[in-house]
Amino acid sequence: MKRPSFFEHLHPPSIPEPQARFRYTLGLGGLSVFFFLVTTVSGALLLFYYAPTYEQANASVQLLQYHVPLGWLVRGLHFWSAQLLVATSGLHLLRVALTGGFRAGRRFNWLLGLGLLVLVLGLDFTGYGLRWDASIGWALLVGTNLLRQIPLAGETLFGWFVGGPELGAATVLRLFGWHVFGLMLPALGLAVWHLFRVRRDGGIAHASSVEFPVRRLPRRELVGREVVAMLIAGGCLLALTSLAAPALDGPLDPAAMSEQAHAPWFFLAVQELLRWGNPLWLGVILPAVALLALALIPYAIDRGRLLGRWFPSDGRLSQVLAISLAIGFGVLTLRAALR
Amino acid sequence: MRPSARPILLATLALAAGVGFAGVRERTPTYAAYGSAVPIALLPSLTGQPEYCLTCHDGIEEISAAHPTEVFGCVRCHGGQPLALDAETAHAGMLGGRNPSAFDVVEVACGGADCHSGPSDEGLDHIHRSLVSLQSTYAGAIAAVRYAFGAQPDLAARFAVNAVRDPEITTPTGLHSLDALLPVAVTEPPQVQALGSRCLTCHLGAEPLDQPGRRRMTGCAACHAVTNWDGAYTGGDPTISRNESGHASTHRLTTAIPYTQCDTCHNRGNYRLVDMDFHERTDLPAGGSASRLQAYYQPIAQFTACEYQLDCIDCHPSGEVMGDGDLHSRMDEVRAVECRTCHGTLTEGPQTRSIFDADDPALRQAHLNPSSSLQVGDSVVVTKRGETLWNVRRLEDGTFELTAKVAGAVYAVPQVAGSSCEQVVEDQTSSACHECHAVERH
Repeated sequence: MKRPSFFEHLHPPSIPEPQARFRYTLGLGGLSVFFFLVTTVSGALLLFYYAPTYEQANASVQLLQYHVPLGWLVRGLHFWSAQLLVATSGLHLLRVALTGGFRAGRRFNWLLGLGLLVLVLGLDFTGYGLRWDASIGWALLVGTNLLRQIPLAGETLFGWFVGGPELGAATVLRLFGWHVFGLMLPALGLAVWHLFRVRRDGGIAHASSVEFPVRRLPRRELVGREVVAMLIAGGCLLALTSLAAPALDGPLDPAAMSEQAHAPWFFLAVQELLRWGNPLWLGVILPAVALLALALIPYAIDRGRLLGRWFPSDGRLSQVLAISLAIGFGVLTLRAALR
Repeated sequence: MRPSARPILLATLALAAGVGFAGVRERTPTYAAYGSAVPIALLPSLTGQPEYCLTCHDGIEEISAAHPTEVFGCVRCHGGQPLALDAETAHAGMLGGRNPSAFDVVEVACGGADCHSGPSDEGLDHIHRSLVSLQSTYAGAIAAVRYAFGAQPDLAARFAVNAVRDPEITTPTGLHSLDALLPVAVTEPPQVQALGSRCLTCHLGAEPLDQPGRRRMTGCAACHAVTNWDGAYTGGDPTISRNESGHASTHRLTTAIPYTQCDTCHNRGNYRLVDMDFHERTDLPAGGSASRLQAYYQPIAQFTACEYQLDCIDCHPSGEVMGDGDLHSRMDEVRAVECRTCHGTLTEGPQTRSIFDADDPALRQAHLNPSSSLQVGDSVVVTKRGETLWNVRRLEDGTFELTAKVAGAVYAVPQVAGSSCEQVVEDQTSSACHECHAVERH
């Protein structure tokens, strides 16, 4: 008998039909994997042109965008797949929360997923900074200054990310180091671990097949569906990249920054909170408490057992918490965007 | 077809559509709208950095012979992003928008010791002179109005449009600094307040009124970039609208400034102290069709033939128009040209000097003007303040000729000596000469 390959270990041989339906998963986990792969491959291609120096960073992006054959496409795919990855992984988290997918031995994978989301946000923020153009300066300053607010470790963390007492020549290289290595390597590790744990924990969360035997989709059919999803997502990604180029301004001069904040969209909620008062409480502690609350859902908040359906009746508290956090994030983001 | 193959086929079509979008985007870059199928590179020798501005701006005029495109390129003066190929990114960080000579950016765009912030003794301090000149400060008019309404006891300037300092005074009437008028105008007599709110649109840093005939750029380009009646562009750059005001007529800087450029501010009407408002001339025909004489002088004015046949800059040289590098209170403190400067007196000819050095600033200045044939060995007229009038030359036979800086015409300059002129040497006001030499406006 043929022994399964490594990838066959990561990919389920079959999946219960009710949980293979689009209306159950919304395809969010699979799309996240797809966007993660596109981001990784396009990012690897960008490495051939990006110059992580204060003087050349912005010019190398302009060179890539305007003069390297299909450079605009690679950069655009990297940008848009990264944005979509943030969106799909955030929504995937919400989907898992609202279907109780963290239950029955899957709670450690819930933590891995949360960690992965934090890393993805870090990757997106550092990637945003690597553009090193005039439009990122203020958000980069605000974002890195938030690190300073963290008690005890703040100044050290700030130094790690910024490479000096203020944004400057060393910052580009630091952002680059964190982006392609310091955050990327753990993200890759966590992604593989996350997928592996899905398999190890018994595949996608579903009702007991002993109590409720259902038909299972074989691998061939599942892969077929995944290919369809990837082709459609790839087509949309290409169209999006062709129609909307990521922003690009002139080089950033930290000594002469405009005070217009252009935070990346996923950072707008924090930016809005910061307008309301104390940066330690609103910019650090409040987001950390929200993250902690999410992390505690399977450990201290939710005791339900039902699996494989939306809004299981024995998990109202965790559902209310997840929806409240999602609405809060959405309202804050919208409010900041409309300013 | 098997049922399971259909979704894959449709999804493949979706991907193909995406690839199609990307293909179209790759084949039709935004700059193609301006005619170029490929990027047009320029490698200016001054910077050594490639620029792609001409990809869209192919056909734009070289700014001047003194700024060859292959030496300066575009970015050295205009800023912006040399590698970018879409308008939004390419224009990010441009200095002064379309006008890098605007006074808030001119030092960065045009300054530097080797450019227009050089030593004054070599005549290279153009930016400093412009910034402290009366045309920028408007100090004379402000002082006159404040004096007229009792806000100050004499005519010495104390205020300018913007606060300005001059660290080095070189003339007896030079001032160290002037304060900005607007912050204090609110506490001044109502007429001064009106001056502050209505009358500060003519200085070089101000945006002009949006009216035909008044359109000009600001900063150095207010004078050196010629605008036409409606302020529209007429040159060869395919990206610039031909139907929109706010442009120089072409992308050219010139020292041959026609009187029409001066008239975008001057000769448009009169300020009346009674209501502290500006009253447009009503004697001008519509649509910019005024003759040169009509445009020059209002009906009651007296003038001589040379005053309207020549252009303004033929008699008002750089030292008067751009100033001498000091802050002054009144025009007469920088006025250097009198009738006798060119026409002499009953006993003496005009003061002259000879050009001995090929690097003489006057010769450099002359060579910027295509009409000039001045060369080493020539003798030219000098004003009482020592400024050389390079366009008034003494010929070998002792006669004088003036080369019109704009039209290039050459005029013999009649001399007072040996004529029947009743000149009173001490009285060099124009009205004294007008008594005999004035001509009527027809």
